Amino acid sequence: MSRGRVLVAMSGGVDSSVAAALLHADGYEVIGATMKLTCGDELQTDRPCCSLDSVNDARRVCETLGVPHYVLDLASAFSRDVVRDFAEEYARGRTPIPCVRCNTFTKFRDLARKAAALDCDHIATGHYAQVVDGTLHRGLDPAKDQSYFLWGLAREVVARLILPVGGRTKTETRAAAHALGLRVVAEKAESMDICFVPDGDHVAVVRRELGDDAPSLQRGPFVDVHGTVLGEHEGHARFTIGQRRGLPGGFREPMFVIAIDPARRAVVLGPRDALLGRGVIARGMNWLVAAPPRAGDTVLVQHRHRATPVEATVVRADADTLEVALGAPLTAIAPGQSLVCYDGTRVVGGGVIERGLATASVPRSLPILAA
Amino acid sequence: MPPRPAPIYLDHAATTPVRGEVLEAMLPYFGAKFGNPSSTHRFGREARAAFDEARERIAECLGAHADEIVFTSGGTESDNLAILGPWRVRRGEGRDVVVTTPTEHKAVLEVAHHVAAIGGTERLLDVDAQGRVRDESLDAALDARVAVVSVMWINNETGVVQDIPAIAERARAAGAIVHTDAVQAFGKLAIDVRALPVDLLALSGHKIGGPKGIGALYVRRGTPLTPLLHGGSQDRGRRPGTENVAAAIGLAVAAERAVAEREDEWARLEAMRDALQSTILAQVPDAVVHGLGAPRAPHILNLSVPGTDSESLLMALDLAGICASGGSACQSGSVGASHVLAAMGVPRDLASGALRLSLGALTTDACIARVADVFPALVAKARRLAGAAH
Repeated sequence: MSRGRVLVAMSGGVDSSVAAALLHADGYEVIGATMKLTCGDELQTDRPCCSLDSVNDARRVCETLGVPHYVLDLASAFSRDVVRDFAEEYARGRTPIPCVRCNTFTKFRDLARKAAALDCDHIATGHYAQVVDGTLHRGLDPAKDQSYFLWGLAREVVARLILPVGGRTKTETRAAAHALGLRVVAEKAESMDICFVPDGDHVAVVRRELGDDAPSLQRGPFVDVHGTVLGEHEGHARFTIGQRRGLPGGFREPMFVIAIDPARRAVVLGPRDALLGRGVIARGMNWLVAAPPRAGDTVLVQHRHRATPVEATVVRADADTLEVALGAPLTAIAPGQSLVCYDGTRVVGGGVIERGLATASVPRSLPILAA
Repeated sequence: MPPRPAPIYLDHAATTPVRGEVLEAMLPYFGAKFGNPSSTHRFGREARAAFDEARERIAECLGAHADEIVFTSGGTESDNLAILGPWRVRRGEGRDVVVTTPTEHKAVLEVAHHVAAIGGTERLLDVDAQGRVRDESLDAALDARVAVVSVMWINNETGVVQDIPAIAERARAAGAIVHTDAVQAFGKLAIDVRALPVDLLALSGHKIGGPKGIGALYVRRGTPLTPLLHGGSQDRGRRPGTENVAAAIGLAVAAERAVAEREDEWARLEAMRDALQSTILAQVPDAVVHGLGAPRAPHILNLSVPGTDSESLLMALDLAGICASGGSACQSGSVGASHVLAAMGVPRDLASGALRLSLGALTTDACIARVADVFPALVAKARRLAGAAH
């Protein structure tokens, strides 16, 4: 007796392979799908995911399970929604997370729609996060938790979502791969890079998307907070908030990128203290709970993958925007990164950081303002 | 989950099941009659006799002499040998041009590209909206530099039939060596090389109820040819390597059966194809049948449904147990737009939705009825699927 039909997004890696095998063993009717995200007929052959080898590995896993496997060409939508945005964000002086947009638009919108069109009751992936009673939670393994990248899902997708490896450690997943006979993928290397950024060279992607003459790739000044020119750089798209590498030397204390001003093509440098922020404004909020927090509420917020979440007070919350006052200062709050709100392990919602605030605002609904 | 109905195979242009009598004829050569035809002892003689006989039987099917048949590993090798073999000889005589069409199988098209890449010249003919070669384009392409003209007889994607006798006649008059890829045509059209002015003709075993991994190339006596492979003197040096005896026998039996049943099978497939086509067009009136109006082989129905793409249609069909093909399948398993339809001037959005249903030995009226029955629902599903990422 089938527990329903599930589309499993399979990258050819160990996590999604184990996810498919576990669901198959649990009595689900599994359909494996590998997204083709790169353009052109020839897929890259030497990358841990999104390559022809990965497609073949996913297919081999499905063959082993005796379930259908399809390759879904989402290259043009991915190129528009993820790759193009990635380059444009750098051009705007921000630091994008393409994985968030891939999850939001490609995997859990486009692919989820295809799953629905295929009469699938569920969609599953190999993400390290958990769905508990229809709400999204952190993965059990803190070292692998990917919930930070998943705040953009629609709530109705979370309701259909199964994350079979989210309650395991990576070691357990690999052990499960061996136990399930998935030798092809059991010892595959982790994919740490962004799949469409070869060798971590994001500047090459910016150049390809926006052209050699893109302003963000032209020379510009390093300046301090007063506007004093400290040197020259080869394009602000090469920099991100908090970066030290590639900066001019000779300062009394370590200097960091503390801001990027695309209008002047300037990269602003400052000491470590200048990186500290006491408030954050995020836009494009997506809430995964029925009753989003309101001004005055306390939430846990996380401003980078692997950053420790901190307590914050909601200053302002509307359909699009969230402003929080941080209980403790955070370092290197980078526009373009995600601000994700948690309630314990539960993902409450998230958005894209618009900017950090050097000083925290006072929540409007507090008595002092109401008076 | 409800039990899945038995699958319906509508992909005979991709491959066909091996016929029972073919398998039976081959089996002894995997067993007791295992000899190498090049051996002089009794095991070798036994294999040699069977292999020679297979060659004669295939020659008979084509109206050819036995020494004009070269066994190959299949259609791709036959096409490669047919073009590169003569071209390598004739390029030294000032003839370095390969003329072909943009609607060929990749086994021809990529060879023409290869010729261009290694210093020769490739000329692609213009085709009309049905994919048929335009006369004036052929005339313009034929000159004293042409080494080989290669035109596919029945297109593997659309089923459209080229006028090979006329094309070959004109190409030959211009001094060209003429090859036709008859992989889809063999067993469908009457082929008699005594009356057909081609010099080379490729066929493949697994498209006609024979095994995979065997094909043949007809090489008219006197046609200059250098081998692709180098080694022993098998097949007069044209194709060295120990002969695939069992498969050659299988090919011979399959070819004989295909020729014997040709006319009846044509009529049977044509009736079913027409029924399928008219039902689909009645239910999905905006469907576009490719090659409509041109002479078409009866076993291929290629159509596009606006608002769908091949990928979505094939998934919807596959999940309903109906096995078909889209455009040209790329290595990754995703479905690209067909170069054949593109060459015919089919708009890209329509070409990327092409679906090839190909009929054959396994097809019955009941299959056709069931496909016709579920097709509109599958189209609706495919439209939802295709709309998911736009």
